[in-house]
Amino acid sequence: MLSRVAENLFWLGRYLERAENIARMARVEHEVSLESGQEIWHSLVSTTASNQLFWDTLLEEPELTHSEFLIYSMQNSASLRSTLVRARELARGLREHISREVWEEINALYLYLALRKEYIANDIHEFCSETQRRTQTILGLYDNTVLRDEGREWFRCGMYLERADMTSRIVDAKYHILLPSGDSVGGAFDRFQWMAVLRSASAREAYRRMGNNEVDGIQVAQLLIFSQVFPRSLAFCVQALQRHFQQATGETPKRRRAAAERGIALLHLDIGARDMDQLIDEGLHGFLDTFQQRLIEIDRAITGDIFRAEPNAASLQSQTSIGQA
Amino acid sequence: MNELLQGYLATGPSDDEMFDDAGALRHDYRELGNILQKWSLDEHLQREERADLALLSAGITFNVYSEEEGTERIFPFSLIPRVIGAREWARVEAGLKQRLRALNLFLLDIYGAQQIIKEGIIPEEIVLGAPGYRPEMAGFRPPLDVYAHVAGCDLVRDSKQGLVVLEDNLRTPSGVSYVLENRTIMLRVVPDLFPRGGVRAVADYPNQLMAMLLSVRPADSGDPPRAVLLTPGVYNSAYFEHSFLSNQMGIPLVEGSDLTVGDDDFVYLRSTTGLERIDVIYRRIDDDFLDPTVYRADSLLGVPGLMRSYLKGHVTLVNAPGAGVADDKVVYRWVPDIIRFYLDEDPMLPNVETYSPLVPSELDHIRANARDLVIKPANASGGYGVLIGEQASSAELEETLAQVEAEPRNWIAQPLLHFTSIPTFDDDRLKPRRADLRPFILSGRDVWVIPGGLTRVALREGSYIVNSSQGGGSKDTWVLNEEPD
Repeated sequence: MLSRVAENLFWLGRYLERAENIARMARVEHEVSLESGQEIWHSLVSTTASNQLFWDTLLEEPELTHSEFLIYSMQNSASLRSTLVRARELARGLREHISREVWEEINALYLYLALRKEYIANDIHEFCSETQRRTQTILGLYDNTVLRDEGREWFRCGMYLERADMTSRIVDAKYHILLPSGDSVGGAFDRFQWMAVLRSASAREAYRRMGNNEVDGIQVAQLLIFSQVFPRSLAFCVQALQRHFQQATGETPKRRRAAAERGIALLHLDIGARDMDQLIDEGLHGFLDTFQQRLIEIDRAITGDIFRAEPNAASLQSQTSIGQA
Repeated sequence: MNELLQGYLATGPSDDEMFDDAGALRHDYRELGNILQKWSLDEHLQREERADLALLSAGITFNVYSEEEGTERIFPFSLIPRVIGAREWARVEAGLKQRLRALNLFLLDIYGAQQIIKEGIIPEEIVLGAPGYRPEMAGFRPPLDVYAHVAGCDLVRDSKQGLVVLEDNLRTPSGVSYVLENRTIMLRVVPDLFPRGGVRAVADYPNQLMAMLLSVRPADSGDPPRAVLLTPGVYNSAYFEHSFLSNQMGIPLVEGSDLTVGDDDFVYLRSTTGLERIDVIYRRIDDDFLDPTVYRADSLLGVPGLMRSYLKGHVTLVNAPGAGVADDKVVYRWVPDIIRFYLDEDPMLPNVETYSPLVPSELDHIRANARDLVIKPANASGGYGVLIGEQASSAELEETLAQVEAEPRNWIAQPLLHFTSIPTFDDDRLKPRRADLRPFILSGRDVWVIPGGLTRVALREGSYIVNSSQGGGSKDTWVLNEEPD
């Protein structure tokens, strides 16, 4: 498959997954901040983008709110809107690789966004739910209408890599309340926060269904990191990433896929060799930090060795002799 | 007559394709008109909206260069089709085939023995001075001796002569995707308008195109041979079409950076598993951008070494570089002579009467009759820089005439054609709008013509400019299967 197309499908998967995550987190954050009366958007900004960029942008646009920055600002390349605009740009260049259904749904989402001429602060719920519903529709349509070829495997690689990254950020944003740091641990406020984490990861129902009666930080982290059956857990995402990567690179020469393969194997080891108690002892934040670092390295290896590898003379030679045989 | 058509006649259309001057439906439009009689204005309005929505949500848009990069618009679409009778179409089809056979023979001759120049049929300076002439093509013979594989000829219906050729596009003509998409939308939105006898289908175009591409593959091509469509990228105004066609043909849509020329001078595609050999490139980028080592060095769109590979016969470029010499607006003046010279036949489709200031008697004619003429730059497309004598101010006219005399190779003049109008929806009602027709012609082993083509309409009252970049719209074109009784 054409390298540029593979790379763009990989990123289409990443952006769509990212958009769905931001929309979901923003919706939860919106409700939590309304109910609690506390402005907690800044933590979400630090989850998805840089605080520095927010403050820099604020100098130019004094009216800017955290939620607008996160959802609507084109200054923020990680905002929901920026992400969707880029996903649609990519899709426009990939129309012969995605189904007409998927393209039209992505385009419809873009038009929905484009028709909103300005940010409407009291419409966050409607906007985020609609975006979330539509991105989920796109991902579902993708699975049911697009050919199961190499391109689809790259799309899935991007999607699971992004999902692993997002889930780890969601847990990371609240890791500090797992630390024994005083009265609040185990209290109502704590429960409230963990409920929000579960909802941010679309995991509340899953958590209950798995037999957890109490909302407990350790159990929540256990689900989001180690569960083999919850489709947003780190363990699940890593396994899916490995499977789709293998399928995408079935015919790729070993030297081009080796570094990424190794990175994914390391992730597997990191999770497989530990349990929750060990993580608490070692420090959850350190673990999540390494996890995110490894995702970055895998992304780099896929991009540098597979999508953008310059063919060397030897490979050209061998290909030529095959072509002439 | 109902309100819809009554309102149209009240606008006083002249040279109309649907109605004669007495206000009666013309022969080919009778069945269509009888159905429209039953439509209310409201019903029509609703259907127009449905069609626009379908185009927008399908992302059938084009980019406009004069606006911010990436700005997209839908190509305005109007539901009332242009109708062409079976008999008339048979004549047009034969005329186009004749024209393309002659133009390809002309190109073979120009890059070969140059017999037509030696025999004094066309002045040497006009041919060799054409900006589309590529000296590096001299002596090279492409597979099947075809240069202009995909052509789009712009026709207009003159109220006296019928359909005439206004210009040829032999480099990278665009618009065929709208022909196919317009038909799809018509079938969905106005199934009740289609005549009982049916209209000629257009959906075969991608199959014909694919077969043609493979037919001109190099003699030593891979097995199976591989074709790609080369696009300048997602910001090009015709990107939708590139994507559409590659999808319909099932071939990769590539950008210049996706291809590389090996040390062996074959062309390869960069894939995730390595390099894959390419045999035929349907390129939708201009000659100037094909190969930065030969043409514009600043081009990032092309493939370094591509011309070397091509001239060695390792890859086929569709259309051939240098085909533009035959669609030059000045060379156009000589196309009837070209047809007579190579085929020893009279042209079946007339040219528009054209004057070249390079011919002294014709320059005199242009000076004396400038008010009655349209003066066009020979090297621009998209309707830019055209001066319409009867509408221009004296200063504009003088300025243009001065340019014509200073650079006679760069201008031509034609009488203002009162080409026909068709009822077109605008501002909540039907209004007469001028229209042209661009049929697409494929040349490989045989010559094939799409039934009908792209009908483009001017969207401003009285305007003769139908280009999409200047706000033109389009319609479905129906070639009737049979003559109505």
